[in-house]
Amino acid sequence: MPRIIKFTEALREATDQMMEADKNIFFVGLGATYRNAADGTATGLASKYPERVFDVPDSEGGFTGMAVGAAINGLRPIVHHGRVEFSLLAADQIITQAAKWNYMFGGGNPVPIVLRINVGRQWGNGPQHTQSLYALFGNALGLKVVIPSTPRMAKGLLVSALRDNNPVVMLESRWIFPVKQDVPIELYTEPLGYAKVAVPGKDITVLAYGDGFVAAYEALSLLGEQVSVELIDLVSLNPVDYETIFASMRKTGRLLTVDTTNGAFSVGSEIISKVAQKSLQLREAPSALSCPNVPCPTSTALTEFYYPTKVDIANAVLRVMHKPAITRALTFEELHLAPNLTLL
Amino acid sequence: MNTLFEAYKKMFLIRTAEEELVALYLKEKIMSFVHFYIGQEAVAVGVCDALKKEDKVLGNHRSHGHYLAKGGDLKKMICELLGKENGSSRGKGGSMHMMDRSVNFMGSTPILGSVVPLACGTAFEQKYNNKPDVTVVFLGDGAFEEGIVYETFNLAALFKLPLILVVENNLFSTNSKLKDRRSDAHHVQGIVTGFGIQYVKADGNDYEDVLGKAKKLIAGARMGHPAVLECMTYRHMAHSGPIFEEEYREEDTAENRLKKDSIKKMRQAVLHGGVSEQEIVSAEDGIKKTVQDSIDFALNASYPPKESLYTDLYAP
Repeated sequence: MPRIIKFTEALREATDQMMEADKNIFFVGLGATYRNAADGTATGLASKYPERVFDVPDSEGGFTGMAVGAAINGLRPIVHHGRVEFSLLAADQIITQAAKWNYMFGGGNPVPIVLRINVGRQWGNGPQHTQSLYALFGNALGLKVVIPSTPRMAKGLLVSALRDNNPVVMLESRWIFPVKQDVPIELYTEPLGYAKVAVPGKDITVLAYGDGFVAAYEALSLLGEQVSVELIDLVSLNPVDYETIFASMRKTGRLLTVDTTNGAFSVGSEIISKVAQKSLQLREAPSALSCPNVPCPTSTALTEFYYPTKVDIANAVLRVMHKPAITRALTFEELHLAPNLTLL
Repeated sequence: MNTLFEAYKKMFLIRTAEEELVALYLKEKIMSFVHFYIGQEAVAVGVCDALKKEDKVLGNHRSHGHYLAKGGDLKKMICELLGKENGSSRGKGGSMHMMDRSVNFMGSTPILGSVVPLACGTAFEQKYNNKPDVTVVFLGDGAFEEGIVYETFNLAALFKLPLILVVENNLFSTNSKLKDRRSDAHHVQGIVTGFGIQYVKADGNDYEDVLGKAKKLIAGARMGHPAVLECMTYRHMAHSGPIFEEEYREEDTAENRLKKDSIKKMRQAVLHGGVSEQEIVSAEDGIKKTVQDSIDFALNASYPPKESLYTDLYAP
């Protein structure tokens, strides 16, 4: 009997089950005790664990640093930042303190903290509320950085993150919060640091993550039987699982990367650079889709052209395969509202 | 046991170690940025003498004194400065990253103000687990100007944490003078107490004044009343490295520094307390030998192997 739940509910369930299992876990974030806390990912936790869920002042540097300090003393905080822009107020604590702590003290100094940071697109949010900054976190040595793309992955990754002894940053794409999937009720893990072949195929490797993964998944049905796509969920930015990616490319000989942020210093450019250095025998030059190198504006008349859509992804695949493009007009809802979708 | 004499020995150890490290630094044997603690010894020893072993301490870029006052291992410290394998951070941290968890010296970080919320989190853990302990964090007058410090005041007061912030005010942030950084109306006590944090000012050149005031504030912190102890003191050396232009100083002239030097004053107090000159000299000679032996040990210690570059990025 499938149990279809939303992405946000999967995160809430993982948190609840882990807090029940480990009393060292506590939750910190703005509005954490509110009934719909952290977009529903902390609903009910404050009443179930009254001494372990903390609403905090609007002091991102301060409360993030406090959580890092608690982690170096053995607690396991979950810090929630509802927008990545606000987490930047805590950049020193995340990038320079937590991430460097174990290395700079010569080992033996774990920092078991989970930073849940929401990123990316949402209607009407504009340049200062929609950044993703994947490259920034991927570049910060000492962090483990994961991006859940599906509800199953969200739950399993959060459980792993809460058992890990290092600072783990989960970059959660707000766009896919309503996406649903059959998620096991029991505790299970998805490993940090590994990409996952989500859909096996033989013609082309499509590498995507976050909302880009969901768009790529939707593109598969537009392509139908005419191309056999191997869809890889990147999952981990730091470290990147090159082994899984290269193994797929040795089979397909073709690559399309999908970034739902600007293309400069992106996942696409990083992976394709490694592919080039590796001299993999390819059938076609690697191809990359991304947002343009401008901030995301607010007007829907402009955001319509900002993010790669499922049609863009399908056509990018067809281009690599030397097949004719499809034309399919997208509705306003498809372009501007979060997808109401159940994944297999 | 004469407690003043014991405190004098700790202060003398810090002073002697730092002076010998200055000599090594000038011989270019130390390839690590060094911020010397000379002149501020009464603060570290006064505060740490008011603590139990279980209490935790964190520091900043100028933390040799804090580390040694809490009981940190001297040999490991010098090895760390020399980049050796058996340094306290196995050569990866250097002078700005002191750490000895065995004595609850929980680490020091040089980005100004950064250690303050980390200390707040250390106190948070003590309260979360109902421990009877407190956390002390040392910061300077420069770090006191960082925004995150004020965020931390609010958090510590809100959560009633057992946290003491010891502000060592040596009148300089690198080369910027205090009077060039704050308006005439700037009022430290007003700022601190406005957050609901207790504030006491001490003469940082006077061990007994620091100790007495620290004891009182620490007792309050154990009851959930966080506090700031501001200690007025002098930095005898430059911000980083030993040489600082004397003519640039105003209040902290060589004459004033010497007159108020805590080590000199303590030595007098110990003598007046009935310890003989001979006993003092013999203790000093013992400390000098310990320092010299530790330096010789560190100079002969081995460097970390190349593979060490790649280890410890993540904890197992």
